[in-house]
Amino acid sequence: MLKTKLDKTVIRLSAAILLLAILSGCSSSASVQINNDFPTVLAEPQPVSASIVFDKSFSTYIAEPNKNTVIDIGTAQVKLLSNAFTGLFNEVEFVTSTEEISGANSLVIIPSVREVQISTPSDNYLNVFEVWIKYNLEIQTSSGETIDSWFMPAYGKTPDAFMASKSNAIEEASIIALRDAGAKLMLDFYRIPAIYGWMMEQKILEESK
Amino acid sequence: MKPTIKLGSKYTLKGLLLGLIVGSLAGCSATTTIDEYRPTGEAIDLNTNEKIVVLGRRDAGHYETDREFINCVAKRMQGADIGIVPEQQFIDSIYPWFEPRTAPKGLPRLKRLMQDPLIKGQVDSKAVRYLVWIDGSTETLDQGGSISCAIGPGGGGCFGFAQWDKLSVYEAIVWDMTNLQEMGRLRVDSEGTSYLIGAVAPIPLLTPVKSNACTSLGNQLKSFFSAP
Repeated sequence: MLKTKLDKTVIRLSAAILLLAILSGCSSSASVQINNDFPTVLAEPQPVSASIVFDKSFSTYIAEPNKNTVIDIGTAQVKLLSNAFTGLFNEVEFVTSTEEISGANSLVIIPSVREVQISTPSDNYLNVFEVWIKYNLEIQTSSGETIDSWFMPAYGKTPDAFMASKSNAIEEASIIALRDAGAKLMLDFYRIPAIYGWMMEQKILEESK
Repeated sequence: MKPTIKLGSKYTLKGLLLGLIVGSLAGCSATTTIDEYRPTGEAIDLNTNEKIVVLGRRDAGHYETDREFINCVAKRMQGADIGIVPEQQFIDSIYPWFEPRTAPKGLPRLKRLMQDPLIKGQVDSKAVRYLVWIDGSTETLDQGGSISCAIGPGGGGCFGFAQWDKLSVYEAIVWDMTNLQEMGRLRVDSEGTSYLIGAVAPIPLLTPVKSNACTSLGNQLKSFFSAP
């Protein structure tokens, strides 16, 4: 008698746990931390030296695109941009504040995140999760004169999959967005008119030819 | 005298059940069509030290060629005689030049990319001779019926009937990475209907539309190449 009661309790408890697990899989909130490594960029750096300032607010940046979603991209974006800048300049130093700059480099770049946005299948009625990371690069000369304040948007998307969790999909889309930021930087940095003009002034383009 | 049909017989019932299962399964088969274009009817010669990479297009706004499908096609093509470089490995080795933003959409852009000695060196070091671009997706076209499930302390179950149509459309383009030219194109269309019957337990009768598209495309691509 006691054994039958015990068996029923175990079955009910197991069913409740199973139901809870299924419901937690359907949860609409997501907390994601990205610690990925990124591939080394395949590019010949230009003969330019630069100091990159990754301040604390950038290296520990945690995005909250909406009240249910938290994406910790601080560590990953530092790794990604360090890698990309190494492919752009032949001499690079990475510092955490402008006071630490050695002064020997010709450019100073201070990246910051303007905004992170996400879109889920319930928002866009498509079977994709989307992430936008909007960066801003403050580009200065070593004397502190601003060359340009460059807006650099990056985008990543990942398809929705049956029974896949929202966290995994947002993580995947964020990684793709970060990789896109690297691609955008490599593709467009030397096409920024102000940078092109500055390089012409410094006669860097002629030297590299 | 009225004709009578004996349904009580053991064999008749078994036959009916078997007929129902066969009928249901037959209804779950996909219709697949392949169109192929190549300049010559001969297979492309592939040396033992030459490899193929299969990549998915991911620059469209509303869909993405999923990695699972690309891996499936690559697996189909791979054999003792055809060497395949994994998609992610190739994209990482050449980062950032084959990302959705930067990947060449046509041969003129590929030619410009291959003029960069670093990129060409990397492609050569991976021994990639042919690149296969796959672009497409699987979409649910139409769905009908309804099924509801309930669970309670006394047990649970699902009741109802649902059906949906799926369509897979994928296009493959083969590029020669040495001569920088297009070697052929393939297009696969696969369509089928799946059913879900709720009779206490949900009984799925799924049509493997995507899987059929993968098998057909993989086999056809394999026939494009002939290894020594």
